Amino acid sequence: MRVLTVDDSRTILAMLHHTLSNAGFEVLQAEDGQKGLDVLQREKVDVVITDINMPVMDGIEFIKNVRSSGEYNSLPILILTTETSQDKRDQGRAAGGTGWIVKPFDPEKLISVIHRVVH
Amino acid sequence: MSDLDDFKATYFDECSELLLDLEEQFAAIQSGDRSADRLNAVFRAIHSIKGGGGAFGFSELVAFAHAYETLLDHVRDGRIELSDPVATLCIRANDIVADFVNAAKAGTSLGAGYGADERKQFDALTSGEQAAEDEGPGGDDEFDIDFTPVMVTLAEAPEPEASVPADDSFKQAPLAVEKGHWEIRFAPHRELYARANDPLLLFRELANLGELTVDARLSEIPVLSDFDPFGIYCVWELTLISPTATINDIAEVFEFVEGNCDLSIVQLTKPAASAEPDAAAEANLSDLAAMAAPAESDAPLSFEALAETVKKDMPVRAAAPKPAAPAPAQPAAPAAPAMILAGDDPDDRRTGPDDRRGAAAMQSIRVDLDKVDRVVNMVGELVITQSMLTQQMDETLRARYQELVRGLEVLAQTTRGLQDAVMAIRAQPVKSVFSRMPRLVRELAVKTGKKIKLETIGEATEIDKTVIEQLSDPLTHMIRNSADHGIESPEKRIKAGKPEVGTIRLSAEQAGGNILIAVEDDGGGINRERVLEVAREKGIVAPEITPTDEQIDQLIFAPGFSTAAEVSDISGRGVGMDVVLSNIKKIGGSVHVRSRTGRGTRMTLRLPLTLAVLDVMLVRVGPSPYVVPLSSIVETIQCSRADFGRTPTGAKVLRVRGEYVQVVDLADRFMLATDIELANRFVVLCEAEGGNKVALVVDDIIGQQQVVIKSLEENFESIEGIAGGTILGDGNVALIVDVQGLRAPALGHKNAA
Repeated sequence: MRVLTVDDSRTILAMLHHTLSNAGFEVLQAEDGQKGLDVLQREKVDVVITDINMPVMDGIEFIKNVRSSGEYNSLPILILTTETSQDKRDQGRAAGGTGWIVKPFDPEKLISVIHRVVH
Repeated sequence: MSDLDDFKATYFDECSELLLDLEEQFAAIQSGDRSADRLNAVFRAIHSIKGGGGAFGFSELVAFAHAYETLLDHVRDGRIELSDPVATLCIRANDIVADFVNAAKAGTSLGAGYGADERKQFDALTSGEQAAEDEGPGGDDEFDIDFTPVMVTLAEAPEPEASVPADDSFKQAPLAVEKGHWEIRFAPHRELYARANDPLLLFRELANLGELTVDARLSEIPVLSDFDPFGIYCVWELTLISPTATINDIAEVFEFVEGNCDLSIVQLTKPAASAEPDAAAEANLSDLAAMAAPAESDAPLSFEALAETVKKDMPVRAAAPKPAAPAPAQPAAPAAPAMILAGDDPDDRRTGPDDRRGAAAMQSIRVDLDKVDRVVNMVGELVITQSMLTQQMDETLRARYQELVRGLEVLAQTTRGLQDAVMAIRAQPVKSVFSRMPRLVRELAVKTGKKIKLETIGEATEIDKTVIEQLSDPLTHMIRNSADHGIESPEKRIKAGKPEVGTIRLSAEQAGGNILIAVEDDGGGINRERVLEVAREKGIVAPEITPTDEQIDQLIFAPGFSTAAEVSDISGRGVGMDVVLSNIKKIGGSVHVRSRTGRGTRMTLRLPLTLAVLDVMLVRVGPSPYVVPLSSIVETIQCSRADFGRTPTGAKVLRVRGEYVQVVDLADRFMLATDIELANRFVVLCEAEGGNKVALVVDDIIGQQQVVIKSLEENFESIEGIAGGTILGDGNVALIVDVQGLRAPALGHKNAA
């Protein structure tokens, strides 16, 4: 299973990579929404995990762009964010986010959430 | 756990980059650029620092960063204007964040009170909205740190049921509930599919909780002519038998679809178990059914049949509406054009930076410094082997093997090129050190009550990474010194006809094989009378000696020197400027100071471009080869033509152009027997730090070459007067003479005449 992780923080990308690859996922990385879109154009992935606050293109725009293309309507997108306020999460969902993970994430929980949204 | 340590290391690396970025952003903000991009970048930096900090449980850092972030959030969306006082507060807050990061890195605590004043100011600024927000993010942060994140979302999850009709029955029947028997009614909306949620997955998850029975209600499905292939018609009724599952467990399954479906979760009661929930369910159902009512009456039979099929093959059918999402997906479709615009916009607008970022990401890799060092070392050896080969070529060989000679010349060129290229890998712009200085100057200005501005020049100048790392402390000390002793108080400056704001200029430039870094201030200059007075008191300068102005200036670097006035909160930390000297010496550099009374002081560090390869003069003392760093050699003199003398104390001196220079006979110093007459030996006149000279007497001068420095401390032990070792082309080990270490420390000896 392939996961695209999108986050501008190297720390978070590294932790995601570690957790996910240990759980047997193949991990792709992008540092912002625009790069995430670039990866999606080249690669097929099963699930996307994206941060909200990013330079160039933030997570909300990224999700909107992914959904608007029509090609990825069934692609689960998990929002990864420290924003525990309902506000950001709702924005992410309104944009088309499938679910969310709150940073800092618990590794087991992360994996179980992915399994919740991926066949 | 090493993984965690790795992540922490990554995090702290990232923090330093973000903090540097913050400095830059605020430098631009202070010079008037208050664009949204800048403010967003600032917000993101703090946000990232906070986010990572939460992952490692740095609660003090996270708490402060959170409060600061709230302020920044208000600033970036315009609720708070970024006035000068707010910008100043932000800069101060950056410094505090940096302190918290450093404390976290060191594993220490700054205490709960640290940054409390600033937090109060944040609160005051954001008050109003703050009252409401404090509850939310503040409280959540506690969860972020102390619990797994799921706790946060779990706590909120039951809310959806609270609003569904069935909730009443759930509340009314707590005593009569049948343990572990749940009835769930689930009617997805279109949005649910538009967000790539899938009922099948929800059911799969529910099935993990216990024994699940799924019943698909197909009564809403219209006749074929009215059937919208993308329509949502299916409603599911599920029964879950689980002795352990709680309402929270079940609610969590539906966490991500909250608001995108009609959902009721009811625990069955024992007596008259299903009456009330069923009624509730019917009520719901009838709402939905109303839309599809005509269809139901038109073709009941065919749908009964269809229902059977669907029931048997529920999962497939359940997933079936999924393709429905694309075209008609309500929230996505209408918004799409706007989103495309929004998406394209930043792309177009920022093509420049984005490209640059992209290019940087594609073209750079992270390499362990050890690996680079290994290459540097090997290239060093290669250079030496090559120069040795070249030296082996005598005239006869040259004449006979012209091809070989040509080959060696090419080899020499390539090796030089390789060496430069490898050194460039280790080189870093001095910016990484320079950028820490604005904060220092700000703090110094506050503490001293002076007005100081810092100018930096030549930040892009590159030096070896090791040198850069060693540069921070000396520079800090020099700037402290300038702010504390150099720049005068505003009143004094105005009286002296100078601008009220003092300037400290920090500059870097490359000059040949050296990097020059200068700290220059437009203050009052060194108080020479006071310096000499203190130096005499401390016995650094003998009473009978009258040093030149330049020598007095240089005294501030003498070990143990510290003027009484220097014992202040800032500079007086138990060490004087001699720390600067010893640090710079360690990396093969030198320090020079020039001062003009009333005009200011300029301190210059001369640093080697690289530490790995050293240009040296190879000399012989007794039976052993020694090398003297070429950069410190002023000239060489045959002893027969040297003008030796003795001081009243009996020390040997050399008179060079009217100056008396201390003489160190390396044979004596290193206790080596030499049978060469003094007249046939050589003097190597060297200049140590600050223009102090020393004359080394050696048996013979062999020539110049490059050597790779090997640490004696690492391979053997530290020896006074020896800076390190090296392996020569013929395999012999030569020791590197530590010119500064050989010089007697007291000024008295040197100038005794």
